[in-house]
Amino acid sequence: MEKILTKKLLPKWLKKLEDYTLYAPQFTDDFWSFEVAENPEKIELNHPNTVQAPKKIIYPQRDVFFEFTNPDGEPPEIKEILPDDNASIIIGVRPCDAKALTLLDKVFNDGYKDEYYWKRRDNTALIGLACSTPPSPNCFCTSVGGSPHAKTGLDILMTDMGDRYHIESVTKTGDKLINTGGKGLFTNPTAKDKKDVQHIHDESEKKITRAIKDVKKIPSVLTGMFESPFWDEEAMSCLRCGICTFLCPTCHCFDISDEVTSISPVKGQRVRTWDTCQFPDFTMHSSGHNPRPDKASRLRQRIMHKYQYFVEKFGEYQCTGCGRCVSKCPVGIDIIEVLNKVRDHG
Amino acid sequence: MDSNVYVPKLAKIIAIKEEVTGARPIKTFRTQFLTEFDFAQKCGQCAMLSVFGKGESMISVSSSPLIKDYLQFSILKSGRVTTALHDMKVDDIIGIRGPYGNGFPIEDWRGKNLVFIGGGIGLAPIWSVLQTALGLKKDYGKIMLIYGARTSKDIVYKEELEELSKENTVHLSVDVEEEGWNEFVGFVPQNVTDKKPSPKNAIAITCGPPIMIKFVIQALGELGFKDDQIFTTVENKMKCGIGICGRCNIGMHYVCKDGPVYSWAELKELPQEY
Repeated sequence: MEKILTKKLLPKWLKKLEDYTLYAPQFTDDFWSFEVAENPEKIELNHPNTVQAPKKIIYPQRDVFFEFTNPDGEPPEIKEILPDDNASIIIGVRPCDAKALTLLDKVFNDGYKDEYYWKRRDNTALIGLACSTPPSPNCFCTSVGGSPHAKTGLDILMTDMGDRYHIESVTKTGDKLINTGGKGLFTNPTAKDKKDVQHIHDESEKKITRAIKDVKKIPSVLTGMFESPFWDEEAMSCLRCGICTFLCPTCHCFDISDEVTSISPVKGQRVRTWDTCQFPDFTMHSSGHNPRPDKASRLRQRIMHKYQYFVEKFGEYQCTGCGRCVSKCPVGIDIIEVLNKVRDHG
Repeated sequence: MDSNVYVPKLAKIIAIKEEVTGARPIKTFRTQFLTEFDFAQKCGQCAMLSVFGKGESMISVSSSPLIKDYLQFSILKSGRVTTALHDMKVDDIIGIRGPYGNGFPIEDWRGKNLVFIGGGIGLAPIWSVLQTALGLKKDYGKIMLIYGARTSKDIVYKEELEELSKENTVHLSVDVEEEGWNEFVGFVPQNVTDKKPSPKNAIAITCGPPIMIKFVIQALGELGFKDDQIFTTVENKMKCGIGICGRCNIGMHYVCKDGPVYSWAELKELPQEY
């Protein structure tokens, strides 16, 4: 389904969707972030890439699995805490971040279904915004099978046409959201509108300047590079801060730990929190032995996981080219440059 | 399997045995689920044990799947959770989730002689196989165990080994000479070379410290064991047990899910990341 919506009518549409919790990109405290939008009137979809991907809404940094009470002499009580059933909409999702969720889908349903992830995932509709101009100077989605107007993972793709949005529904959920808007809001696109949208999409691809060339060669080149001194050189400046993985829309690694709130009786929560392969204790055994004992082996893990292991396992790169890890690395480790060098190793 | 994979089942500790005391203590715990639950583990599979308030730790099940009444775990006091487990008493409650991992392909080994080679606490993960082979005696050939520890005090399952040696070949060793020790002195791989188990119609199953495993495999190779006749079980730090949390991988393999059991033919193809 394709529709046209005058920009001025966007708040009106979103108000009709008040049964949903609405998340939109907002500029607060000097950075862009997806937050609950109380007032649809204030939503302006002119954001660069948010610092964090909307991943954080589906798969939050901290998730409580259950609460436990462990009274002396009695069996512990376990109270399972699942996410609530609230339906949500995230509007303004960039195509790279939507595709990232489809990659997380594979991870969180690989033989075991992760209830915490899927409860939110199944209850969240994604309204995307095509990137007419790259939202980051380090965008490289077109290198990894994506595009600034890709619909993968989205329910609706919106394209900014100046004073109007082109609105394309991709799923039944998308159709429902448009239909909830009711009559009078949307018009049907003319042949010229369709042509204009096509032109905007075509031009948007050309505006992406950064690229990994011949990316298809990379997985097989990497298979021969496990022992290479290359990783020592590339990781030399790494501060092991982990920001690359913290901001990555596809990274999924986590820790599970007990947070204790009372000692007698023992009470607390078992929580999952994001973790990173860039921290030394991520893999350290209790004996002190560490299979990935230095930053070179940890950088290698990040690159190989995204561009070799994930490809071997799921047939896709575990990277959608959002460029966050490039933009935010404090020492300028640039995955695009690293991978271009990897390719030349082959 | 219940829908929520992260919520453990409650189980009571019904017996605790002190295997080793001193600086590196080992205790064996027997546990029973509070409500009837068929854990249905395979030999070599692991369980995620919970001490509520401390966290979780992945431990291999050392009892045979033939035993349905209880699960047994032999645990070296090492980190936060295993220290808490060592402080627990009979009737205390822990949480268990699992089983996790692939397990040993013991069905494929019917009719074969089994050579078990363990070092220290590394006997625990292969003990379930040994016990199962003993329980299904007519299905398997001869059983030999080559087992060593740092000192005689570090040997686990002392009574069980005594019993085992009555009808099977058991070769013990300690790393350094000590008074009253009449058996082999030296490292486990040296004892393998010394005792020369035959590769003919045999499978070797080994677990111990990584350096021991490495040299045991080398010694077995010299004796004529082929790569697909040698099996080991690997460990890495684990949190989820289901191949998501990202830390136990060796290349594209998650040890918790695709392992922990590998033949040497399989393992040697993977990067050295364990």
